[in-house]
Amino acid sequence: MRLLVVEDDNTIREFLTRALAESGFRVDACSQGSQAEKLALEGVHDALVIDLTLPDIDGLELIQRLRSQGVTSPVLILSARRSVDERVRGLEKGGDDYMTKPFAVAELQARLRALLRRSTPGQSETTKLRVGDLEIDLIRREARRAGVELQLTQQEFALLEYLCRNAGRVVTRAMVLDHVWKMRIDTSTNIVDVHIHRLRNKVDRESERPLIRTIRGVGYLLRD
Amino acid sequence: MFSRVGSSFYRTAAWRLAVRSTAVFAVGSAAVFIVMYVMVARTVRDRSDSWLLGESDTLKQVALNTPRDALYDRVVEEVAEHATREAGDDESEGHPAGNTVFFAQTGDPSHAPVWVGPADSATFLNALSTMKISQGAPVSLQIKGWPAPFRVVAVDMRPGAGRLYLGLLDSISTQLLRHLLARFFLGWVAMVAFGFLITLFGLRRMLKRVDAITSTAASIRPDDLGTRVPAGRQQDEVARLARTFNNMLDRISSSVNQLRTLTDSVAHDLKSPITSVRGSLEIALSLDDREQSSELVARAIEHLDRLSDVITTSLDLAEADGGALRLRRESIDLGELVSRVVELYAPVFADRHQQLCVAAMTTAKIGGDVSLCTRMLSNLMENELHYAGANAVVSVSVSTGEGLASITVEDNGPGFSPELLPRVFQRFVKGAESEGHGLGLAFVSAVAVAHGGRAVARIRPEGGSQIVVKIPLATAATGEERQSADNVLSSR
Repeated sequence: MRLLVVEDDNTIREFLTRALAESGFRVDACSQGSQAEKLALEGVHDALVIDLTLPDIDGLELIQRLRSQGVTSPVLILSARRSVDERVRGLEKGGDDYMTKPFAVAELQARLRALLRRSTPGQSETTKLRVGDLEIDLIRREARRAGVELQLTQQEFALLEYLCRNAGRVVTRAMVLDHVWKMRIDTSTNIVDVHIHRLRNKVDRESERPLIRTIRGVGYLLRD
Repeated sequence: MFSRVGSSFYRTAAWRLAVRSTAVFAVGSAAVFIVMYVMVARTVRDRSDSWLLGESDTLKQVALNTPRDALYDRVVEEVAEHATREAGDDESEGHPAGNTVFFAQTGDPSHAPVWVGPADSATFLNALSTMKISQGAPVSLQIKGWPAPFRVVAVDMRPGAGRLYLGLLDSISTQLLRHLLARFFLGWVAMVAFGFLITLFGLRRMLKRVDAITSTAASIRPDDLGTRVPAGRQQDEVARLARTFNNMLDRISSSVNQLRTLTDSVAHDLKSPITSVRGSLEIALSLDDREQSSELVARAIEHLDRLSDVITTSLDLAEADGGALRLRRESIDLGELVSRVVELYAPVFADRHQQLCVAAMTTAKIGGDVSLCTRMLSNLMENELHYAGANAVVSVSVSTGEGLASITVEDNGPGFSPELLPRVFQRFVKGAESEGHGLGLAFVSAVAVAHGGRAVARIRPEGGSQIVVKIPLATAATGEERQSADNVLSSR
């Protein structure tokens, strides 16, 4: 998977390149809108990460130009501004997702993966997820650990499903709030931790091999 | 020095306005005086004219009926003298103070001109011969050597018998009119001067109060906003200006104070996490134990998240204060949203040995911004988490009434301290034991206001705090608006 990162701030560009390269992407990076346009038109990138404040042209305009010239790769917009208005405008101009700085690298990776999944269809929707000896049935809404059915509330099931779908990958608290509770709130309170703690009590208590791990400062990871 | 003071005085609005209003007043009053004078003068002239006409008629009859013999002159002179004596008191030499009358009969070829009047008859006769005649109506005739024109009536005798003149100089009336004119003029000058001074002083006094405001405004420095303009007890325009000005100063001063608090708080709220981030990372660098160092790095990231949180909320509040909080309105059921938020938070409350329950719930459709409303509700929840205290019971209810949706959050905790109560929705106002930034409730209020509603806090009589957020319910119109907005989005 090849990415194009367009970001004028050197520090952020370098750190993005490094972080994305470490998670297995091939990354091209540039700081100018015009340069980005040229690179993107080569058509070799699977996804674009574009910052809105570029020195030569506005990020939104760049996206619009690329779209009008037939570039269909998904675009993830980065911005320091955070108004709802701008978010909607960004999505209207042809962006596919929007993130405000500061963001967690885990979230950036997750969003990019989601975008790439969307753009490469053909994945069959599974009805069962399995991680180690944890098994969840999405149709019956049942979860079993080592064959024993877990008594989960609706919220707990949704949370476990989200973790299983992202098994092996770190999810942040904001991602959990966004995807499980459909709420975009910034909070310094440990709401998500409390829910994870309850879920862990049910999923990992009886087992010697805990599945749900806390990655301090970042989020959670469900892995066998 | 004097000329400088003088010239600056002539540039004042008081001087300019006084001069202008006095000029208008002078012209107006002069016109009134002139009209009055003309009317008086005409009345006086009419009186002497009617005497002239009557007398000239009598004289004509006498002249016509008297036979032209040696006695004719005597008779006519006798009658004329009688007449002149009737009107004039004096016909002696010089120019008398009283009235002067003359009678002349000329143009009769069979007779020498008859003259009764002042001695210099030649001058008079000369003037009479050149004067324009208006039959039966008196005219004015200026005679050389006399101070005022005579009123003269000329009457034609029967054809060939010549013409008869009767003239009157009404010196008393003339003098009277002259006096009147002089008095009027003096009175006018006095009135104009007095009016000018009154206006000037009145304006000066009023504009001095404006000057006081000006000098107060000039003396205000950013570090001293305590000065106020004396407003006085009047209710006039200048007093209103002074009061408005003082109110403005009050507002500016409170804004500046708020800004100072903000700067202090920002300095505190930003610097402490930065310090601990820096410290954590420094120690992490020097540690060999990987587990310990990653623990420190994780803590640094948590501090940074908190920092980002403060910045985000501060920016939102700054936008809200500037009226720039843009709402992306859509139809929201506040009841449903509150239920979801309560569901999300309930385990957290339980974790802290508090109880969160729903007291009443109803559908309440509003046209609002989901993201802002969600954050507002989460702020209300976190406020309770932090302040309601252990074992507190927090109840949330949603109700509708009078076109408003009300979200009530109350607890049986310690409540607000009375001195804090009026300011709970202000930024950076927080309880003594608070670990927050004092932005949570300010944000709640800002969101309520942005949606056309308000937030109210009070201490419950049975103890504990109560916060009510009221937001107008969606009307049919906003529902339609929303539909069309949806169409735009879905047609994209």
